[in-house]
Amino acid sequence: MSPQLGNLSGIRILERSGECAALAGKFLAELGAEVIKVEPPQGEPSRRRGPFIGEENPERSVPFLAYNTSKRGITLASHHPRARAVWRALVESADVVLYSVGDEDSRAWGPLPASDEDMLAWNPRLVVCRVSPFGHGGPYASRRGSDLTVVALGGNLYPTGNPDRAPVRCSLPVSHFHGGIEAAVAVSFGLWGVATRGHGDTLDVSLQACMVMPNMTTPMQFPFTGFAGKRVGGGFRGARAFFRELWPCKDGYVSFALRGGPARIPGIKALVQYMDECGMAPPALRDRNWDEYNHNVITQAEVDEIEEALAAFFRTKTMQELFEVACARNLLLAPANTAREIVSSRQLAAREFFVRIEDPKRSLTLLYPGAFARNSLGNIRVRGPAPMLGEHNAEVYAALGFDPVGLAKEGVI
Amino acid sequence: MAAAPSWFEGIKILEFGGGAAGPLASRYFADFGATVVRVESRLRPDFIRLLRYKPGDPHGFDGSHMFAMVNPNKLGIALNMNHPRAREVALRLVDWCDVLAENFAPGILARWGLDYPTLAARKPELIMISTCLNGQTGPDRNYPGFGGQGSALAGFNHLTGWPDREPLGPYGTITDSLAPRFVALLVASALLYRQRTGKGQYIDFSQVEGGIACLSENILTFTATGEVLTRRGNQSRYAAPHGVYRCAPRGDDDDRWLALAVHNEEDWRTLRRIMGEPGWAQDRRFDTVAGRLQHAAELDCAIEGWTRQHDNERLAAQLAEAGLDAAPVWNFPELLADPQLAHRRHFRSVQHPVIGEHLCERPAFHSARMDAEIRRPAPCLGEHTELVCRELLGMKPEEFEELRAAGVFE
Repeated sequence: MSPQLGNLSGIRILERSGECAALAGKFLAELGAEVIKVEPPQGEPSRRRGPFIGEENPERSVPFLAYNTSKRGITLASHHPRARAVWRALVESADVVLYSVGDEDSRAWGPLPASDEDMLAWNPRLVVCRVSPFGHGGPYASRRGSDLTVVALGGNLYPTGNPDRAPVRCSLPVSHFHGGIEAAVAVSFGLWGVATRGHGDTLDVSLQACMVMPNMTTPMQFPFTGFAGKRVGGGFRGARAFFRELWPCKDGYVSFALRGGPARIPGIKALVQYMDECGMAPPALRDRNWDEYNHNVITQAEVDEIEEALAAFFRTKTMQELFEVACARNLLLAPANTAREIVSSRQLAAREFFVRIEDPKRSLTLLYPGAFARNSLGNIRVRGPAPMLGEHNAEVYAALGFDPVGLAKEGVI
Repeated sequence: MAAAPSWFEGIKILEFGGGAAGPLASRYFADFGATVVRVESRLRPDFIRLLRYKPGDPHGFDGSHMFAMVNPNKLGIALNMNHPRAREVALRLVDWCDVLAENFAPGILARWGLDYPTLAARKPELIMISTCLNGQTGPDRNYPGFGGQGSALAGFNHLTGWPDREPLGPYGTITDSLAPRFVALLVASALLYRQRTGKGQYIDFSQVEGGIACLSENILTFTATGEVLTRRGNQSRYAAPHGVYRCAPRGDDDDRWLALAVHNEEDWRTLRRIMGEPGWAQDRRFDTVAGRLQHAAELDCAIEGWTRQHDNERLAAQLAEAGLDAAPVWNFPELLADPQLAHRRHFRSVQHPVIGEHLCERPAFHSARMDAEIRRPAPCLGEHTELVCRELLGMKPEEFEELRAAGVFE
C-alpha cells in the first residue's frame, strides 16, 4: 500500500460496516485516512455477493472488491468474551469509528462489542458515526430497511419509472451511494470539531433522510404546486406538458430534453441546425423562434409535434456520433452509457481516471475507477485493492501490544 | 444568528455559480455556522431563479421556490463580473474568504482573472474548488451538461428502469445530489489539511467521475468479468420476492404501492403466514432463494394479486411489525408527513419575504453536539450587496456608492 499521504493523513478510521456505508470508508481512504475494515471472522456478508471473478469465493466478489479499495482489513469476533478488551484498544488507537446498524449486512453479525457511550468514554476525542436505514430512535427505529425500502420512504421511488408500471429503483443501490458520502461528510465535520474544539462526537446518518435530497426540492414545493409526484418515463414535467428525456438511437439511448432558459436554448438551436444540415428538421423546428421558447408555456400538442421529429432523427444516429456532435456544438445531449462506453471514454482517458490495481495476493490486476476527485497536491488517490480477510491482523494487533497468533488461537480474531 | 457557536462559525465561503449541485454543497457549511456569500448578477441570473419566472413577474427573480429551498442561510451579493471594476471587488472577496467554491463551466473564472494560479499567488492558503460535469481538463471539459446529462454519462440511466423499456435515471438527476455531498467532503478535508499545515489547495471535481466512482461495481463487473450490467426493474440479484406491488386504491388515488424485500427463508415463511398460506405459495420451486430468483416474475404476479386487496400503508405496517423489510412507497405529500423524518425534524420551516413560509431540508446526519439551524431565508438577488461590501469588506460609503453608480453591482 502506498504511503498514506493526503488531506486526512494521520487519521485512523475503524470501519465496521456492511455495504451501505462501505463507500464512506473508501472515499475517506482516498483522502488519505488509514481505514481499517473490521470484519467478523467469517467475513463481511457482501463478500458472498456476486458477480464473482471466476469461482464463487469471498475473495472474488465484485461488489466487495469494488466498494472496499484502499482499506486495510482485520477480523474480530464481536461475541467473544475478549472482544471488548481488544475493541477498546482499537478504539483508543483510532480517531473515528464508522459502523452500520440495522442494515441487512450488520444484522447478520450482531452488535458492536461496546456502546457509543463506552467508546467515547474510552476515547473522548473519538468521532463515532453510525449509519442505519432510518437513523437513531423514532417510530421506525426497530424496522428493517434495505435500498428498496429506504428509497421508497425517501420519496425517490414513487416518481421514478414509467407511468404505466410500478415505481422502479436503480439496479445498483443508490441509497448506499448517497448514504456513504453523507457519512463521509459527517465524519469530516466531526473531525473538524475535534481539530477546532478538542472533543469527540456521535453522528447519526439516516439512509432514508439521505434519499430526500435527490428529489431536488420538488416534494417541499407540494404546498405551492399541489404536485404529488408522477412517473413520466424518461422525461420531465413542465407547467403545461410532459417532455421526453431519453430517446432510442441506432445503438442505444441518448438523453436530450426540450428544457428552456438561457443556458439551454442555444443547445436546442444547435441541434435544430444540425438536424437541418442532415435534412431532417421539419418547419415546426426550423421556423420556430427558439429565443422565446419556454417549456412552461408550450402546449402538449406543440411538444408532441417537435418530439416526433426529434425521435425520427435520433434513430438515424449512434450514441457516439451524437455525443461527438454534442461536444463539438455544445448540445445538451448525452448517451445513456453502459460500462463499456464509460471505460472507453476519451475524456476519462485524457484525465487518466481509471487505475490498474495490482492485487498480487489474489493474483488479479484489474481496472478500477480512480479517485473521486483530484487536487493540486495530487494526494487524492486509490491506494490499493480491497483487503483480504484478516490481511492486516498481524501488524495491526501486534502494534497494539497483542499477540495476533494467540488471538487467532482463542478465536477472538 | 445561532445561539451557540457551531462547527464552522468564522469560516467564510465565497460561492460563484448556480443550479443545485454547487449551492447545495455550501449549504452544509452554512447550516453549521459558516458565512457563505453567493455572488450573482441580475444580468445573468442563476437558472433556478427562472424556473417559474415569466416576464413582468412582480417578484422579479426572487419568486423561485427551488432557489429559496436550495439557498437558505446564505448572503447574496450582485456583481456584474463583466464590468471592468468588478474584479477588484471579487479580489477583495477572495481576500476575505477561506474557501472559493464555483460550479461554472470550465474557464469562466479564468476569463475574469480569478483562476487558481493567480489567486494562489495572492493568497497561498486559499482553498478553491471547481465543480462541473466533466472536470476542468480533457477534450470534453467544455461539454455543457446539467444533472440529466451527468446521470446518463456516469451510467445511472442505463441501470434504472425496465429491461424492455428505455433507460430512465433515478428521479431528480442523481449526480446533482451526489455532487454536493462530495464537494462538502472535499472542502472539509481541505480545511482539515489547512488547519494542520497552513496550506491551501485547488480541487477539481467532475460530477461524472464522482458518479462513476459510486458505480464502481458497474465498472468492475465489466472490467473483471466482461458482463455489462443493465437495468433489471426492481429485481435483485440476491433476494426474491424483491419488488414494488400495486395496492388497493385509496379514494380516487389508484397509484398506491408497497415495496417489499424478502431476504431469506425465514422472511419467506413469515410472508406466507401473513398471506394466509395460499396454495400457490406452497409450490416447492419457491422454497429456496435460488428457486424464487429463477421464478421471480411468476412470484411477483402472485404477490400482487394479494397486495391489490390491501391498503399499502396498513399492509406495510403489518409486514414491518412481523419483522419483514416492507414499506409504503411515499408520494410527495406523504413524504412530508413521514413520522420518522418528523422525529428527525428533517424539514424546517422558513419565512421568505417573497414566497412566504416554505420548507427546507437539513443534512441527513445529526450530531450529538451541533444542530444544523436555518437562520435566514435564501437571499433575494443582491439583497446583501451593501452589507457584504460595507461590513465584510470594510468599504467606505463613498466608495460603495461610486461602484454602485458605475453599475458594478448589477
